[in-house]
Formats: sequence, C-alpha cells, structure tokens
Amino acid sequence: MLELLELVGASEARNRPVRIGDLACELGYSTDLVEGILKIALKEGLIEYSDDKYRLTSKGRTEVQKHRESYIHETYAHRPGLLGRLARMFEGNIGDWQNHWRRRHGIDGDSLKGFYMNIHDLDGRVEETSSLADLNQGERGIVAFTLGGYGLVRRLAEMGLTPGTEVKVVRSAPFHGPIEISVRGVSLALGRGVASKVYVRKSRWQN
Amino acid sequence: MEPKRIIIALAGNANVGKSSVFNQLTGLSQTVGNWPGKTVERAEGKLHFAGYTITVLDLPGIYSLSTFSIEEIVSRDYIAIERPDVIVNVVDASALERNLYFTIQLLELQAPVVMALNQIDYAARRGVRINVELLSKMLGIPVVPTIAITGVGITELLNTVINIVEGKIKLSGSKIEYGREIEEELVRLENTVREKLPKLVENYPARWISIKLLERDEDIAHRVKESPGGDEVLAAADVAISRIEKIHGEPAPIVIASERYGMASHIAREVTEVISPPKVTLEDRLSSLTAHRILGYPILAAVATLMFTLIFIVGGYLVNILETFFEEMLIPTMDIYLSRFLPQFIVEIINGGLISGVAAGATIALPYIVPFYILLAILEDSGYLPRAAFLMDNLMHKMGLHGKAFIPLLLGYGCNVPACIGCRIMETERERFLAGFVVVLVPCAARSVIILGLAGRYLGLHVALTLYMFDLALIFVLGRIAYRLLPGKPIGLIMEMPPYRVPSPSLVLKKTWVRTKDFIYVALPLIIIGSVALQFLMSSGLIWPIADFMDPLISGWLGLPSLSGIPLIFGVLRKELTLILLAELAGTTSFEHIFTPIQMIVFTLVTMIYIPCIATIAALGHEFGWGKAAGVAAADILLAILLGGVAYRTILISNSLISLRFIGYHT
Repeated sequence: MLELLELVGASEARNRPVRIGDLACELGYSTDLVEGILKIALKEGLIEYSDDKYRLTSKGRTEVQKHRESYIHETYAHRPGLLGRLARMFEGNIGDWQNHWRRRHGIDGDSLKGFYMNIHDLDGRVEETSSLADLNQGERGIVAFTLGGYGLVRRLAEMGLTPGTEVKVVRSAPFHGPIEISVRGVSLALGRGVASKVYVRKSRWQN
Repeated sequence: MEPKRIIIALAGNANVGKSSVFNQLTGLSQTVGNWPGKTVERAEGKLHFAGYTITVLDLPGIYSLSTFSIEEIVSRDYIAIERPDVIVNVVDASALERNLYFTIQLLELQAPVVMALNQIDYAARRGVRINVELLSKMLGIPVVPTIAITGVGITELLNTVINIVEGKIKLSGSKIEYGREIEEELVRLENTVREKLPKLVENYPARWISIKLLERDEDIAHRVKESPGGDEVLAAADVAISRIEKIHGEPAPIVIASERYGMASHIAREVTEVISPPKVTLEDRLSSLTAHRILGYPILAAVATLMFTLIFIVGGYLVNILETFFEEMLIPTMDIYLSRFLPQFIVEIINGGLISGVAAGATIALPYIVPFYILLAILEDSGYLPRAAFLMDNLMHKMGLHGKAFIPLLLGYGCNVPACIGCRIMETERERFLAGFVVVLVPCAARSVIILGLAGRYLGLHVALTLYMFDLALIFVLGRIAYRLLPGKPIGLIMEMPPYRVPSPSLVLKKTWVRTKDFIYVALPLIIIGSVALQFLMSSGLIWPIADFMDPLISGWLGLPSLSGIPLIFGVLRKELTLILLAELAGTTSFEHIFTPIQMIVFTLVTMIYIPCIATIAALGHEFGWGKAAGVAAADILLAILLGGVAYRTILISNSLISLRFIGYHT
C-alpha cells in the first residue's frame, strides 16, 4: 500500500499521470491487485481521483512522508550492528519526527526544512535510495539528498555533491573507514559519517 | 621612465598547480607572511615584465568563495575591496567542471579575470582536448593554456595580463545567468540593494551581494545588517528565498550551488573533446595500490619506516660533522680569543649560552628537520599524503579528529612548531585546537635525540621503541579524553584526493624552506635566549636554590638524582639540552654512572611528555591564544609528573616481584 502511495506521490512530483500498468510493472504486482489497492486507498481518503489522475490527499501525503522518514531513519547514522539496533529499539515509535531529527540527530532548522522539501519531491520510492556509505565499491548512484547539519549540507553542495549529480564509489577503507568517490571528475574522500548522510538513488546501469 | 606598477592575484582551487604558476612568475623573490590579523598565509612576489613592475599575490587555495573558512573570506575581500588589476584564475584542465565552479564565482564578483588553463599536458594524457577559444568565448575572459611546472605558457599569460591592463583586451563582462526564476529574484533584489545600501555597493557589486544573500552567506548578511537600511534588504531577501524554495523544493543555497554546477558542467561538456577513451594510467594503478584496503597499510608502514631510517642515517651523519665543527673548533677558538679581553663570566655566557644555543639549533634543525621536511614535501606533492590520511581517517576519528590531522601529526616528528602551524588545515576552531593539543605530544627530533641517546643507547633499542609506542598510545588516549571534554561535535572528513604527480623539486624546496623557516624564526631565537639565560643562572650560581626547592618532587616523587631537576627545568627551553646539561652538571657523559636503568626510563619519559618546549608554547599561543597555550603546557607538566612517578613505582614493584621470584627459585 505505502509503496503504491509513494509511487503516486513520485509521479505527482514529476508531473506525470499515474498509469496502473506502470505501477504494476514497477512493483511487480498484477494490474488487478494494483487496482484493488488503489480502490482501498480511495476509500480511506489517502488518494483522490480527478481529471483522469490519481493524486495524494493531504492525509495520504502525511502517510507517505512518515513512511519515508522512518525508512530513512532505519538506515541513518546509527551505529552498525547490535548497538545501533538497540538504540533504535529504545527510540521505539517516534511520534514527533521533527523533534526527533532535531534532538537526537542534531539536524538544525534550515537543513530540516530542506530535508522535508527533498523527501516531499523524491523521485521514486524511498526504498530505492540508500546512503553513500552502503554502496559497494564500483557502484554508482545519483545524489537524492543530504541529511545533516546545514553547514555540512552546504559544504558538500559546494564540493559538487548537489542533488542530481552522479557519483561513483571508487574504494572504501576497511573497518568502517572513509570512502573515496568520484564526482564531477574529481576524487573525493568522505569520512564514513559524512558518506552515511548522503543519500543516493542507485543507478540502474552499473559499471 | 618610471616603471608602471600593477598587482595581480592568483586564485584557484587547491591542487591545481597554483604554487607552480606563482613560482614561475616570481622565482625566488617571494615573501611569505600572514594576512593582517589572520592566521592565513600570505605569499607575495615581484617581477619585472615589459616595463612593468608586477606584484603577484598568491591567494589561499580554496574551493569556493563562500564563508566556510577564513581563507575564503580573506580571498574574496581582497578581490572585492583591494581590487587587484588582474586576477589570474589557475584552473586544472583535467578537472574542468569542478574548477569552473570557482571561476563562475570570480566572474560574479565582476573581477577582471584571466584563466590559466593549467596541466593541459596531464589532461591530454587522459585523452581529453579542450577547445580553448570556445571556453574563452563562453566565459568572456581570455584563456591561456599553461604547463606551469615546465613554464609553458607563462610568458603568454603575462602578455595577456598586460594587454588587459593596457586595455588592448576588452573583457566582455560576461554575465553568468541563472535559471529564470532565480534571475527574476536577483534583478528585484539587486535593485533593492542598490537603492538601500549605496555604501556597501561601493565595495561589492550589487548583483553579487544579492546572490550571496540568496545563498544565506553569513558574512555578507552580517555586513548588510550593520548598514542602515539593511534590515529591509534582508527582509526582501527572505521573501525571495522563500519563493525560490517553493519553486525548486530545495534550500536556496543548494539551488544556487546546483545551478552554478549546472553551468560549469554545461561549459565543460561543450569545450571538452574526448579524443581517446580514458586509459587506466600508471597514476590510477599507483592510486589503487597505495589506498588499497589491505595492501595500503603495509605500504604506509614501509614508507614511514624508510623515511625515518633515511632521516636518522642522513641526520646522524650531519650531526657528527656539525658537532665537531662547533665543539672542537668554534667554541675552543672563541674561548681563547674572548678570554683575552673579556672577564670569564661574560665569556661563559657567550660561549655556553649564545654559541651553544646557535649550535644546538643548528645541530638539531639542519640535520634532522630539513631532511624530514624535504621527504615530507615530496610525499605531500606527489599525492601520497592524502592517501595516507585516507587510510588513517578511521584511527583519527577515535580521537575526534579526521584523516587530515594525520598530516600535522607527521610534521610534529620534525619539530612541533611547524606542526602547530600545520594544524591550520583543519576546518573548525575546535578541530584545530584538538589537533594542536595532540601534535605537541608527538616526539619531535629533539625528543627523539633523548629517547635514542639515553634509553636507546644504554638500555637497548627495544626500550626506546617501547617508549615510542607508549607515547603513541598516550597521544591516542589523551586525544580521546580531550575530544570528550571539548564542547562541540566532531566533523567528518571531506578531502580532495589529487591524482599522483611527479613533485617539482623547486616546490619541494620551497615548502621545506617555509616549514624550516617557522623553526628558525620562532624556535631558534627562543632557544638562544633560553640558552643565554640558563648559562647566566649557572655562572652566577643562582641555580642551586632552585634545585633545592625542586628536590622533593625530583628525588622524592620521581626517584631521580636531585641534580637532574635543573636540566628538566631548562628542558623547557630546549628539550635536547637536558642531556647536555646533565652531562655538564655531573661532569661526565657516561650516563650509566648518573642513572640507574629505572631512572633512565623515568627521566626519558618525563622529558618526552612534560611541557612542549618554549618555542612550541609560543607557536600554540600564536595559533590558539595564550590562555589555551598555558592550559596545554600546565596539563602536560602535571601529566609528566604524574606518569613519571607512577612509572617509577610500577617498575620498582614489578622489578622486585621478579627478583623475589628469582630468589625463590634459588632457595
């Protein structure tokens, strides 16, 4: 359901009408199933249908937003392994996301605003994004957004890591060390912490 | 005819060969100082060309003209306010897109810019050809291809500069255009700025102020706020920002950075022609080998071992020559001559103070520090050091620092003074100080002399190495503690990895000179003054009451012979002096008669840790303020006393346990 809503939201951001066939293809479901889910969503008031277009209602938008936030949170800046899992367990269900990002992850007002704008307009499903730190050697991705302190976000943009830029992971150092990426024809070393704050959409064609 | 004077400023990203261009232009007539009131290096040189006296100013190497660092503010204020006649933008032809981002910002400042398209040979080897005429046309500025390292294109560059000054080349004043939505806001904001801030517009172009306001540049916003009518402008900027953000769905600064990169990448694509597919070059192979996740570490260890072995072989050889000169020729000769017409007291001060101060400086600085910095500069300029920093980043993070801090840490093995100054490469005040705190604990050449000369010589190399390892562990632990105590958050590594290049000998020597100069100008005078003061205290006999006062600490807590207190006091002036002074006080250079093995270890340990020498304190004060410098010094003294006493007791107890067992076996 949420996956579907996400796709509806994404095509809305891209200004393209949603076709049931596309949705089914993207998710690997049958068209009947997609149609069924859309009906339920309509009934629950998550989407609306007008001018031959499916659109998210504000309720649906909130659901998508929440889903995206919790997905990103799952992969974001927590220690790897048991400690990280424990930390997340203790955090439990997060009601007030804004407050959580601010308090726990130290993301300040301006970049939080940017983050929300970014996930609002995300091109595709949030599951297709992953942090740069999780990419393997040789993998490529397109920068979707950077989630961190405002200074860091701006600094990375100045270094060329702006949304829409293609990056390639050249190599990574062992023991959760830094990674080396190639961006705009330049090699850049990013600490693991920095890299884990940059989210990319994996390119379909790998090299 | 009086030669006409012009000023040109060199600007560009880091690692584009800017210093090579600077060297080619100015040769040896360079002066390196600081920008007034800032800890940012200012390099200046002069040359004569076609009837002009040209002053060349090397602006600090930066990535952009936004306010992330003092370097960037210094550079852009210089360009905007001092208005040099021409700005030479040095650009790396093999990373055109990234470099054009900076060029665009220079053009936004509406400065007269000439581009030196450098390293075209390197780009050609990568199979890339750049259409220079098209690039020049698209940017509206003259572009001169150069290979600075061999001097290709430098004369043409100068001719172009002169032509601009004489008005033979008209700069078309190309306008960098943003997307339509941003342009609309810019025009509106520009008018407001022009209307409300006539004063500020005298210094900075109105359009540039507007761009910076949209980018939420703190420095400019602050200046606008200070001016009368500034609040209205800021309010107008806020409205513009929110409109842009609504349309683009990104924070305005990111939108602007994106658009700038968009232009840069458009231009780069248009002018670049790939003539052969990129091959895997030797540089690439070297790069993947030396930054390899497993092989990288043994290579790093091998490079470090090789470097230090080489330094100690070369250094040891030179020390012998210099020591013979000073001790067997100069001082005895001076002694004879001076004694003829000066009283004994003065002669002692001149010889034991002044001359041996110079001697100590010369026998430490020249033999160990100079070779060390030559090798380091080679590693740095070839591009190896960033790889090492890449590999070490993880370890440095444990101390709250990142990989770049590895570079000042290495510098510290030569002399702590340039290492403190080298901490400037760290991005924030906090990181700088943290690096500075750690760096002064690194055993410099002078401390190595003691470790090797006392512990190494009398107790064996394994003891010396153990002490080194202990020091490294100590650096690590203290770094960690300081990291926990200092307020603020650590920042991650963002570092460019320049491709491997063959380093230029003249640049290596220049770098070596700049670093050695820090030692000569800061450390050497203090060493000489200290030496004279010490000799004065000795010759006048004032030293003994001080020694008595120190005795409870020295012999009571540290378990050292009481005469070793005085060398320790004066080790503040010069660490390596402690050994020499000890020998003088005891009247013998056979330290095995002065110290028991335990005392040797304790003495070496204390000397290694307690207080960075006076020159280092001065460097700390200069870089971080005197309060912090005093704090670091006090912390180090306390730590040394504490650890010295603990080590004394630990070794004593463990020794007696061993001997007890030993006795037990026999009975």
